[in-house]
Formats: sequence, structure tokens, C-alpha cells
Amino acid sequence: MTDFTNEKIDTTQLPRYEAVPLTSLHPNYWKELLVSRGLMVLMLTVALVLAMIFIEELVGYRWLVTTGFVIFVVILLFVSRMAYKKKAYAFRNHDVIFRSGIIATNTMVIPYNRVQHVALHEGWIARFFGLAKIEIFTAGGVSSDLEIPGIAKAEAEKIKQLLMGKIQKQL
Amino acid sequence: METHFNQPQRQSAIGVLVIFLEMIFVLLKNIWPIVVITLLKAEGKSVWVGLLIALGIFVYFGVYSFLKYRNFTFYIDDNTDEFVINDGIINKTKTTIQLHKIQQVNIKQNFIQRLIGVYAMDVDTAGSDQKEGNIKAVSHALALALKSKLMENEGKAVIHESETEVAQAVETTIPFLKINLVSLLKIGFTSNYVKSIGLILTFFFTIYENLHQAGAEDLVDTDRIKVLVDDYSLLYTLMIFVLTMFTIIFVINVVRTLIKFFDYTVTKQKGSLMLTYGLISTQSTILKPEKVQIVKVSENYFQRKLNVLEVKIRQAISGEKKDSKSLIEIPGCNRSEGDEILKLLFHELPQKGVMLLPNFRRLIFSIFLIIILPLTAYFTFGKWIEPLAFHYANLALIYVLLMLTLLLFGFRNYRLFVSENHIIKQSGAWDVDQEILQIDKIQAITTSQLFWHKSLNIGSLTMHTAGGNITFHLGQFDKINDYVNLWLYEIETSNSNWM
Repeated sequence: MTDFTNEKIDTTQLPRYEAVPLTSLHPNYWKELLVSRGLMVLMLTVALVLAMIFIEELVGYRWLVTTGFVIFVVILLFVSRMAYKKKAYAFRNHDVIFRSGIIATNTMVIPYNRVQHVALHEGWIARFFGLAKIEIFTAGGVSSDLEIPGIAKAEAEKIKQLLMGKIQKQL
Repeated sequence: METHFNQPQRQSAIGVLVIFLEMIFVLLKNIWPIVVITLLKAEGKSVWVGLLIALGIFVYFGVYSFLKYRNFTFYIDDNTDEFVINDGIINKTKTTIQLHKIQQVNIKQNFIQRLIGVYAMDVDTAGSDQKEGNIKAVSHALALALKSKLMENEGKAVIHESETEVAQAVETTIPFLKINLVSLLKIGFTSNYVKSIGLILTFFFTIYENLHQAGAEDLVDTDRIKVLVDDYSLLYTLMIFVLTMFTIIFVINVVRTLIKFFDYTVTKQKGSLMLTYGLISTQSTILKPEKVQIVKVSENYFQRKLNVLEVKIRQAISGEKKDSKSLIEIPGCNRSEGDEILKLLFHELPQKGVMLLPNFRRLIFSIFLIIILPLTAYFTFGKWIEPLAFHYANLALIYVLLMLTLLLFGFRNYRLFVSENHIIKQSGAWDVDQEILQIDKIQAITTSQLFWHKSLNIGSLTMHTAGGNITFHLGQFDKINDYVNLWLYEIETSNSNWM
């Protein structure tokens, strides 16, 4: 307590969270997205084709349905690409920053001393591309939990170790 | 088994059976009607097909539960004091929980587990709704050993502390605040209109519906009502109706408030508050100031004139008692008593510091959403589908005027106050709420900005706490960012206890 000082904080000198250069997700994450979206589209296509063959009322609207479906797929891919491009993260000394969102840009910041626990999730497609997802949980419930997908597995492991170390140091 | 747990270990081998049976059980619960129908209607051939499908499902479930069992491991990492759970066959998840973050460990048994003689364990930390660690099948000895191992830390001490405090609750009681009958009556008269109107409407509609269905329309003498309506003007009848409604609302409100909060007493003891209230059954709750996350002080025009306010307190939530104890109401204290409570909860009276205003686009947007959209729908409906709708144009006008007033007042009251230690968000049109949040209770911060608002420099701010979120929409964004940076700095440089 002897070297305790309490000077006024110069608020203009504080590190700015909004100016931190963020790391974008691993390029393989786009491939992962393509595969998972592709599988979904494939399933929908099969269902649609079957429907057009067996439901007679639909036969007259074949072109309409096909065009609609193609537009849907294009929009889906476009939106996925945009969402992928918009996601970025940064691990600072004292907190983690994650940015996402197409129409609205949401930036979430979680200080390490508020993290409850961390999980590493590997989906089967993600594992194929050597990726993992880091899940960070706080006490604030679902709305303040964070999922950062598309990080290379080895790096994700390292980040997790770093996080766990940071959490511990705080107490 | 050994009591070290520092090597990854599986559940009891019999756990395969638990997983398997649980899956079968869930499946049967969902599809039993189909099974019964097929069995009843079955002919020779379809019985075989059904049996084959059942066999297939059995084999699939068997393999699945075996793999699930093989891939589920847990251990305590002694070097880092972490509890680690590995789960998943194809999608793998590795959950790491630091021992000192564990708040509860529950040992449980459901029907299947009792049948087989194993126990389930839930490991719970603060916050998130689902159980973080869920082990399905371990022996009782192992469960107890693991539990004691997991709870060898402060988390356990904290729980015990709160228990002992409950035990000592009777010893020292200095009434700190007693809400008298007059205050309760004031609150009963001036709050919860909307809730009561809803209650009354449902009540009347149920009665009407029942009468209607019973074919007992004769009971309600329609002729006499008609005569009444003819005799007096429609307006007069309407006025009487509204007056009756309001009287009933008042009576119901007052009675409800009295029954629920009769003899509301707040006593102070060793830094925490004990609340007792209730006419028929007496409730008592213990409130620890450090668990308080958000305090909401509400007041409307009448209440301001009568000098009463309502205080609602949101606590940190954890474990089983999530819903029941997380919200605490203190109805009908006067302003100075309210200040006393705030002082006790926050160790100082929260000041309204710098004021942040919302952008006028917020008003325009809500007008668009609540007035223009419904009105357009109404006019299109009247013009193209049912011209009769225009008979009620008066109602539409009343709606527009009412909503416009509400929105204007709502916008005028929408404010964010930032002081050194607290953030106060003010909102509401009639009931003006002030949500007070201590800065070090913030768990995470989200800022949000629509892309066309970037050049306008407006954006939104959400503060997440263990007792819920507070959002301020469309404020001046660079100012918000300044504050976010400052708050982050404050949170990250101190190790305050947020619960």
C-alpha cells in the first residue's frame, strides 16, 4: 500500500478498443462455410426435385420455383460471404474483442477477469479443415457469451491456454 | 477407484447403458403413438419391417452410446487447477473450467440411473443457463470424491457463508424500513394499470364466452341494455363503463398490493438486507448488496406527486434458484427511504453525472414502427378489402394521438447518465424507470452501429451484467466509445467482486 497512487486518468490516452487492428478469420473458414452451406443446399435441392416430380400441382411452376431457388442460393452465398468477411477478432492484454454483423456492426468486448470458462469446439467439417471454435462464457448469460469460429486448431489451443492463464492471474 | 482425477478418465462402464437407455426412452416418449398404431394395425409383413427398423435403431443407438461413452473423458489438471471435460464423437468439445469458478456440484439420480445404480453430476458456474459440465454415470463413491475435490476452494466457502448467514438471521433485527399502509395504498392506486386492464379483460371475455357457449344469452337481457343505450346517449354509457372499469382496476390493484406486500419490513444485518412481507403467507428474502446487479427505480406522474416510488432489484443469478430469487421488489418507499436503500446497496448515492441524449432518429423510427406502419395497414385494409373499417376512423385517430404522446414522452425521458462509478439509464413514457448499474458489475460490453449510421456518428451500447442487460440506443457514438474505453480500463485494472 505504500506505493499506492491515485492520479487522475487521462481519458484521451486510454487504449481505444475501436482502433485495434483485428485479425480476420482463417481463409479455410470460408471453405468450411461453403461445405456446410453446400450440404444444406444439396439437401434442399433433392427435396425440391422430388417435390417437383411427385407433386403434380407444382409441375406448371417448374421454372418459377427453380429461378426462386437459384436466387435464394445466390443470396445465401452472398450473405454468408459478407458475414465471413465482417467477422474479426483480437486478443488484447486484458480483453478479447470480436466484431461481426452485416447490417449493423456489433463489437463485443469481454475483459478476461469476467470470463467464467472457456471451451474449444471442433465441428466435423471444421476438423477437416483444421479449424476450431473458441467459446468464451461469462456470468452474464447467453447474450454475453462469445463464439469465435474459424481459428486454426493449433492457434486456438494456444489462445485457450492464454485465456486460461489470464483468467487465473486475475485472482 | 483412485481419488486423484489427474488422468483423463471415463465414466463407469455401465454408463454406456445409461446413455443407451436414455436415448431409447426419449425416442419412445416421442414416437410411442406411432409404435402403438403400427402394432395394432400390423399385418405379417409390416411387423417384420417394423422389427427391422427397430433393430436398426437399436444397433445405431448402441454404437452411438458406446462411442459417446468412449469419447467422454474428464479430469482435473493439477498444474493449472482446471476441470477439463472432453465430449463428442464427430463434433468435439473440450470444456475447461477453473476450479475456483465452480459454484455448485450437484449429484443426482434419475429413474434410469437409479435402476442401474449410478449417479449423475452437474458442475455449475455462474451465469450461462445450461449446466457447463454434465457427467451422466459415475459410482456414488467416485461422485462424492470428485465433488469434494472440485469444491476444495473458495467457491465452497462462499456457499457456506451464505447458509450460515441465514441461520443467524434471527439474532439481530433493527428495522431499517417499514412500509406503512398509506404508502402501499398509494402504490396500489398508481401502478400496474396495464396488467390490471389485461386481467379484467380476460376475466370479462371468459365470462362472456362461457355464457355464450352455454346458450344463456337470455340471462343477459339484451332488450334492457338496448333500452338503456337508447335512453342515455352512447357517450354517457361509455363514460359509465370506463368509470366502472377504473374503479374495478383500482380495487383490484389495491387489494393485490396489500395482500402481496402487507407489512413490508426491511432489516439490516451484517451488511445484508432481510426483507419480509405478505399478508397471507409471509415471504422472507435475504439480499446481499454485493450480489446486486441492476437496481430499477420507477415512478410515474401520480407517484411523483404522492412521493412514492417502486424499487426493483436484480441479483446475480446462479444455479437452481434462478427465477424465484433474482428479482426483488420494494414497493412504496418515499424518496428519502429510496435514497437510503440505494446508499446501502451501492455504498453511496448514485449520482446522475454526464447526460447522453438519443438521436432524433430514434423518435422517427419508433413513430414509423408504431404509428405509420399500422396506419398504412389500416388504410389499405379499408380501401381495398373492407370499406366498413372506416367507420372506426375515430378510434384510429385516438390511437395515433395516444401513441404520439407516449412516444414523445418516451423519447424525452430516454437518457443515459454516466458518473464516476455508476451508469443510470432513464426510460419510459408514463412510468419513468431509472436503471442503475455499478460500472464494475459489467461483464461484457457490446457496441452496435448500422452501416448508414457510421457517417452520422450514432450507435448503440449494450452493457451485459449477471442480472440482465441494459441497452442505450442511438447515442453519439464517439462519446459512447470514449466511455467504453474508460469502463474497460476501470474493469480491467481492478479486481472488484461483482457478486
